[in-house]
Amino acid sequence: MLVGSGLLVVFLIVSVTAPWWAPHGVAETVDTPLMGMSWAHPFGTDVLGRDVFSRVVNGARDDLFLSIVSTLVAVVVGGIVGLVSGYVGGWLDELLMRVFEAVISIPLLVLALLAIAAAGPERSGSWLLLIGVVVLVYAPRVARMARSIAVDLVTRDFVLAARLRGESVRSIVRRELLPNATGVLLVEFGVRAGYTPILIGSLGFLGFGARPPSPEWGLMISENRDGLLAAPVIVLAPALSLAVLVIALNLCADGLARYLGRQAVRTP
Amino acid sequence: MSLVEVEDLTVDFWTGDGWANVVNEVTFQVRPGESYGLVGESGSGKTTTAGALLGFRRPGSRVRAGSVRFQGRDLLTLRPAELRRVRGREAALVPQNPTTALTPNMRIGDQVEEALQVHGLGGSRSQRARRVLELIRQVRLPDASATARKYPHQLSGGQQQRVTIAMALACEPKVLVLDEPTTGLDVTTQAQIIDLLARLRAETGVAILYVTHNLGVVAEICDRVGVMYAGELVEEGPTERLFERPRHPYTRGLIASVPSVVRPERTRAVLHGLLERGELPPGCRFAPRCVFADEQSFAEQPVLEEVEPGHRVACWHWREIPPLAETAPGEERIEPADTRDGNGALLGIRELDVTYGRSRGLLLARREPELVVRDVTFDIRPGETFSLVGESGSGKSTIARTVGGLLRPLDGEITFEGRNIARTVESRDRELRRRIQLVFQNPDASLNPRQRVGRIVGRPVELFFGLGGKELAARIRRLLEDVRLDPSFMRRFPHELSGGERQRVAIARALAAEPRLMLCDEVLSALDVSVQATVLELLRSLQEEHGIAYLFISHDLAVVRSLSHRVGVLYRGELCEVGTVDEVYAPPFHPYTQELLLAVPEIDPAARRAPTPKVDTETAAGPAATACPFADRCPVKVGPVCDVEPPPWRATSATHAIRCHIPLDELRSKAVWPPARE
Amino acid sequence: MIVRLVASRIALAAVTLVAVSAAVFLFTEILPGDIAARVLGRESTAEQRQIFRDRLHLDRPVYERYGIWLKNAVQADFGRSLVSDQSVTAIVAPKARDTLFLAAFAFVLYVPVTLLAATLGAAFRGRAVDHVTSVLTLVGLSLPEFVLGLLLIYVFALQLGWFPALSVIGAGGGFLDRLQSTFLPAVTLMVAMSVYAIRMLRDNLIEVLDSEYVRMATLKGVPRRRVVLRHALPSALGPALNVTALNLTYLIGGVVVVERVFDYKGLGWSLVDAITNRDTPLIEAIVLLGSAVYIAANLLADVLALLLNPRLRTS
Repeated sequence: MLVGSGLLVVFLIVSVTAPWWAPHGVAETVDTPLMGMSWAHPFGTDVLGRDVFSRVVNGARDDLFLSIVSTLVAVVVGGIVGLVSGYVGGWLDELLMRVFEAVISIPLLVLALLAIAAAGPERSGSWLLLIGVVVLVYAPRVARMARSIAVDLVTRDFVLAARLRGESVRSIVRRELLPNATGVLLVEFGVRAGYTPILIGSLGFLGFGARPPSPEWGLMISENRDGLLAAPVIVLAPALSLAVLVIALNLCADGLARYLGRQAVRTP
Repeated sequence: MSLVEVEDLTVDFWTGDGWANVVNEVTFQVRPGESYGLVGESGSGKTTTAGALLGFRRPGSRVRAGSVRFQGRDLLTLRPAELRRVRGREAALVPQNPTTALTPNMRIGDQVEEALQVHGLGGSRSQRARRVLELIRQVRLPDASATARKYPHQLSGGQQQRVTIAMALACEPKVLVLDEPTTGLDVTTQAQIIDLLARLRAETGVAILYVTHNLGVVAEICDRVGVMYAGELVEEGPTERLFERPRHPYTRGLIASVPSVVRPERTRAVLHGLLERGELPPGCRFAPRCVFADEQSFAEQPVLEEVEPGHRVACWHWREIPPLAETAPGEERIEPADTRDGNGALLGIRELDVTYGRSRGLLLARREPELVVRDVTFDIRPGETFSLVGESGSGKSTIARTVGGLLRPLDGEITFEGRNIARTVESRDRELRRRIQLVFQNPDASLNPRQRVGRIVGRPVELFFGLGGKELAARIRRLLEDVRLDPSFMRRFPHELSGGERQRVAIARALAAEPRLMLCDEVLSALDVSVQATVLELLRSLQEEHGIAYLFISHDLAVVRSLSHRVGVLYRGELCEVGTVDEVYAPPFHPYTQELLLAVPEIDPAARRAPTPKVDTETAAGPAATACPFADRCPVKVGPVCDVEPPPWRATSATHAIRCHIPLDELRSKAVWPPARE
Repeated sequence: MIVRLVASRIALAAVTLVAVSAAVFLFTEILPGDIAARVLGRESTAEQRQIFRDRLHLDRPVYERYGIWLKNAVQADFGRSLVSDQSVTAIVAPKARDTLFLAAFAFVLYVPVTLLAATLGAAFRGRAVDHVTSVLTLVGLSLPEFVLGLLLIYVFALQLGWFPALSVIGAGGGFLDRLQSTFLPAVTLMVAMSVYAIRMLRDNLIEVLDSEYVRMATLKGVPRRRVVLRHALPSALGPALNVTALNLTYLIGGVVVVERVFDYKGLGWSLVDAITNRDTPLIEAIVLLGSAVYIAANLLADVLALLLNPRLRTS
């Protein structure tokens, strides 16, 4: 947890401040292409002769912010829909769950690709689309989980007691269900946030995420992969940055789960 | 020569920020063939001590000192391989909850056989199979070979417990360690298991260490008893002497807390306060709750002293402590205003039928609804306590929930203050919701863990009376005082309270609505004996102060007797006897009432009954196939008429009726009551 | 009872599959812009476009087109590729075979690795083995498939030269050659799946090992190994099956990325191509196929878990 949040803070600082101290611009051709590590270019230069170090530090913003914002939206939306659906029950619940079940049955990455195909691949650079895709992929999964919590909670005596008092649906969801679900939802958020950079990176790698000349890491790796033999560092630097970011997020999720006395369950 | 010698056993648990002591310098012996009872409330360390007899300690605990010698060998220092040969072979466990203690995907026979197999006993495979059947028969399970092929979930709780007993007996061990073996069972099933254990002890000569919180059970089966408090053995002696003349103030209080089904005198809460683990004094651990404690008690630890042969007590003041008062004459119960007149009923229930069978989903075919409650009729007058008593599955909680509006009845009428209210809570008006309050069985589940006590208790006040701000705070404070809790509890969360305190909060929440009728659904069963007594006292005084009527749901016949004005006995969803408390607890009895009464273990030596032979029967849940629901289990069944013809209600007075084919005179002559005394 | 349960699971899976097909159809059909214009190019005449639309029934309402498509899809006819005009089924079938080979290879590696690591971790909880697996799985689940794949290529193909960097298939070669050339992608997929499964199965096993019946067995004198194998493992296996089926979502998604990394021309590769080219019938077919595999696997796991559970089997 400590290591995780420490790393995360470093990532945050880098992502916010990078534009001010990065030695070069992200789209700037500064030197001969495919140079290895050197003092001038610690992470070498890419196929177009851009400074990889500058691109990597600037890319932190894309991957970190995109991940956290999109996951947050997905968990909030999915959580509320799931809780209400589970408490109210009946045909609406039945219908929602069938729909979510169907969406979940399309494998995660394939669903993301499908959504991008639907929006038109040429729009794939937009942050809004990426956030939308993550929400579409996660929200049904979060909703299904939140619903199972709600279904478990509604049979608990304290919810029955609230019903006996004649509390409204809104009041029961807000006062009785939500406070008891926040722990699980927080852990869910942590775990999902840990996977989002992988999802966004994968989309970037496949060419459906960020667009050139964005310094998004997945895209960068895909652009630089032909230089793997000549200058390994230009692939390894963004790759390791991505991996360390995900490790940091996962450590935080595990720590959070332990703190809340729950298990970090990583269900797809 | 002792079989087991526990000496100075001291065990600590890791709490996350340090070691907490749970068992402190406990010393006792179990002799060959003897039955030794270890009694205490939750947190007394009795289960940890019992585990040590099998060389077991929970993860996160350590044995700081002491030894557990079994025939001379110290089990606590034995190597794992040697220990394995003792477990099951020399000392065997009968667990608390057989449902979770049997491996779900292994057949019964295989599990029993495994006990033999892993110790290389029982000879060849076919010889072992024969021995397994023999064992299953020995614990009096029906149709041994069919039972052996079953999986645990196909047996009832009582049958499962018989299986674990068979498993424990498989290798003919020298001692059985029984860890609360009847806690989850119905009272009649419990009586059968106790009876079985007594017989097996006679047959095999096995020694028994019986760990329980139930004093009555100990009184029935144990030769000697040790009483534990906060990890220490505070008193030990022969069962008869200990119950007759307890020397330790804690033992004394514990015994006085247990209501008796035979003697209806009011029990008074003699034990004050609660076990506060964090604030144990260096001296006697009971001192903070003891009325006899002085400076010495707090400062110096008392050691076990012999007060008479075999009877030892750890108390500085045992000489000054008077014997248990000859039970005080029963105080007059305050009768509700009009006990005899049916017109003034607060709650009236007529021919109530309830079912759970609301099938939903598209693929499942609708089935005939199974009635959980059938044709139940009774009423409750203002300020009266009406109790429904019955075993699990009898439908008593269902009735409370239907009255509360959580379930919609299939048929029948429920009237409250003359109005029909047979509908769910959502369609009742606010005033009605306010006047009927429900208190749940388990306060852990009925209080929202994320709300503070102030909020929990204050919410109904806010909702029903629209109070806020200072007025609300004052009301909450008064409600907490009403249930004898300190106003500082307002800021606490439920998990910071003990079980008894939580149940008080739940009662305060119900009280906040100023109800006329309180539905108490097994409100005592999750609590320790001494806490039960205080909550019982609280309920009684609240009724006197506020004139609230109770529908009191319980399986505990003694508690029901001490609290109720009138009682209804419920079996498989149907009432079989209704009357005032004195009438129901006196002959003539319905055969089922009789069976229940005989099953209750009794601690009072003077009131101990002659042992009655127990018939091995199963309490079936759900609706009966016979006209009289009790017919397939009835020891005095008349004949086929019981199966086909619904029994008639036979009234002995204006207030008491029994539903049975047997005439009242015959029932009276068959009654075993009052208990046989020498 | 059990028959009814199984039947209802099958019915539910069928309903889900139909719902998925509708979702997939909707997604691909709401593509913005005039498909005809884009596929046929700007120079095409209005007449040509009309013919194209007629052939695909593009002028009819969506639900009608869905009906036609579904009817054909049931008969394994997904129409023709908009790009190459070949039958989609003919394009997909050989690719599916290659992808299946890769996935099966990964799966064969997955089972023993998962079982071994999880059982060891649970049996030696809190000891070195457990910590090592826990750290390794954490690292594993933090490495995206394309990063892991590239790392493997760099170390084992470019530096050590043990395996080819790209898995070009179809150029003859025996079974062993094929195994060698698909080893790295299979390992990548295996890691992507098993890191999740190991963690879950370990936690499950620990829960079962903490259960009262396991303690009871121990206190009965049953040796540790027998306790784990006879009392604990069977109970943990049902959930493990379900986890495995759920994990196929990573396998199927991973296939897309891994095929791209290793230039393995299977279904995943085709999907990416199809999306780039907006080859709607091909996208629909591949996505539906992937979902169907996932649904079928989950159904199978569900039914197996039901059969493994005596509580459901015997009542």
